[in-house]
Amino acid sequence: MAKTKRRSVLKLAGGAAAASMGGMAAILATGRTPAFAQQRTVHWLKWVDFVPATDTLLKREMMPEAEKALGVKMNLETVNGNDLQPRITAGIQSGAGADLIMSFNSYTHLYANSVVDVSAIAEEVGKREGGIFPYAKAICSNGKIYMGMPWAVIGGMIAWRKSWFEEIGLTKFPDTWDGYREAAKKLKAKGRPFGQTLGHTFGDAPGFSYPYLWSWGGKEVDASGKVVLNSKETLESIKFMQGLWKDGMDEGGLAWDDTNNNRAFLSQTISATLNGASIYIETLRKPDQYKTEKGLPMNKDILHAPLPKGPAGQFGFHLLQSNMLMKYSKNQDAAKEFLKWIHTEANYRKFFESQKGFATPCTAKWESDKLWDVDPVMTPYKVAARLGQAIGNAGPPDAKAQEVLSKYIITDMYAKAVQGMPAEDAMKWAEAELKKVYV
Amino acid sequence: MIEGALWRRWVFYNLPLTLFVFVLLFPFYWMIVTTFRPDGELYLPWNAPNYMPFWTNNPTLEHILYLFEETNFARWMFNTMFIALVSTVISLFCGVLAGYALARLNFPYAGGLGTAIFITYLVPQTLLFIPLAEIIRNFQLGDTPWSLILTYPTFLIPFCTWLMMGYFKAIPKELEECARIDGASRWKAMVYIIIPVAVPGILSSGIIAFTLSWNEFIYALVFLSSPDQKTVPVGVTSELIRGDVFFWGPLMAGALLGSIPVAIVYSFFVEHYVAGLTGSVKG
Repeated sequence: MAKTKRRSVLKLAGGAAAASMGGMAAILATGRTPAFAQQRTVHWLKWVDFVPATDTLLKREMMPEAEKALGVKMNLETVNGNDLQPRITAGIQSGAGADLIMSFNSYTHLYANSVVDVSAIAEEVGKREGGIFPYAKAICSNGKIYMGMPWAVIGGMIAWRKSWFEEIGLTKFPDTWDGYREAAKKLKAKGRPFGQTLGHTFGDAPGFSYPYLWSWGGKEVDASGKVVLNSKETLESIKFMQGLWKDGMDEGGLAWDDTNNNRAFLSQTISATLNGASIYIETLRKPDQYKTEKGLPMNKDILHAPLPKGPAGQFGFHLLQSNMLMKYSKNQDAAKEFLKWIHTEANYRKFFESQKGFATPCTAKWESDKLWDVDPVMTPYKVAARLGQAIGNAGPPDAKAQEVLSKYIITDMYAKAVQGMPAEDAMKWAEAELKKVYV
Repeated sequence: MIEGALWRRWVFYNLPLTLFVFVLLFPFYWMIVTTFRPDGELYLPWNAPNYMPFWTNNPTLEHILYLFEETNFARWMFNTMFIALVSTVISLFCGVLAGYALARLNFPYAGGLGTAIFITYLVPQTLLFIPLAEIIRNFQLGDTPWSLILTYPTFLIPFCTWLMMGYFKAIPKELEECARIDGASRWKAMVYIIIPVAVPGILSSGIIAFTLSWNEFIYALVFLSSPDQKTVPVGVTSELIRGDVFFWGPLMAGALLGSIPVAIVYSFFVEHYVAGLTGSVKG
């Protein structure tokens, strides 16, 4: 057997390394492998829908239909809602990722420099469907471009137990905060408090704390962007919350995330909670599983109501979803064609109907759709998109407003107060935090 | 072992140990009960007449069936196993060689280099995934298992190196020196003398590296996108948490089945693992 010398091995290895490094340099210079095949593919990243039927519809029916109609390959990926933001960040930083990404609330403003203007599509759809609601417009457009194509609003309403309210003499949900507190107090005395999270969770916590603040007349900023949180109205709202929390709420709510109130309501430990329609839809889906203490289907004992009104009016803050077309996308034309295609009335209707009212469209036309008459329990959700108020009130729902939301400053203001911090101190703390953002 | 009166053994040994074991094992017990609990019992109020939080009289396999029939769970298990095994082997190979070099070869700045390697382990993955995403894009590795097999060693190699370095330092130099006097090269002394003695340490590093790879989330979330490429941690959270509703039964079934391979690995090598962590060779 021929003897292999160490020197010859080193020479061979060195040569191979040099050759491969040269090849690697060339690959890195082009940014793609030599065999990279250009494909007309649209990768759409969205949240995994609460309504499984919608994801099934999209994956099994609508994506193949889109492929056939547009001549593109569709790649629909679903991830948990909380995981969208790391995917967006990684995509933007690396310049590669999904072409269309679902945005929650004002992510659109946060990533405004990294998305493609979809004004033409949004305006066309708005014109055809009676106009895009101001709520969706404020979140998806900065006045110059549409950073995201409005998709739907996941409305937040109070789910409440009809029979338990009847036991305390109420046939409809209270429409003022005083009435709310009184009902909560009576029901808590019976071991059925109201449930509300004041934790760091993207849906229910800000969905409650922001409209609550606004309904008392408190605002984060004025129209010019000056922080105006420190006000008599905000202070009153905090003091009222301190009493309300003690009198009528499940005090464990401070540590809840978006799922806990669903679980508490379905386990019949709370009598009312702000939520999407997921609680009710879950009881519809599994009527044998969720029953009242009398053995009746729970879905017959649930109704929905908007948050009560305060001295300054009645507000709602819902989860607005839009689809951002990323600037790094190499398939921008195909992605635009897909957006146009899925927002045609016939195609969007399939999505809308599969949601059974869980998602409210962002244009006026759908508000009068017959779907809202099918189930009266879902009817209150039809106005979610019309009555929604964007964050950053009374300024724009821009990146700063989104930063305040992401840091849970407004929610924490109330959380600190109900945990014992004096109301004035909680307000001053939140004001100072807001000023760090709105510099 | 605690010596002296019986009560001392109970107070200072048996009782704390029982409490510790209870705290550690209770989540697994809960996972098992929830896996086999029918949906109808999952949301029973605490004051319901047949409320049994710690047991079920109506065990069901529906959650496990759902996992295998309605999701790609089997595929995710295969992906996770493949990725964890390959990245562990790569990391162990590099970690053993680097650990040996840092512990035994007296080259300048070896100590500083060892500390620097450890510091790289402390860099959070939430910071690293952004530059790594760019590298993955440049090499067109996105949505392939190789995107994880090649990125997991970025935190596994520093860990293995640091652990092995400590282990090699605890092995008496005399063992190696005897071999060298008998004519073995440094390579042979390492392969035939030191590595066999270091097997407990290598197994410990391997087990921990395997577990870290198995449980990793953020890189798997960012670098993989197709449903059939996902790993168990990403797959179950993507498919079984919908909006604000957790599918507790299948989720717990996924967590239970997902933890079985790790438990098997631990049970096979538990003695070596303990020896590896408690200090190697008694010289």
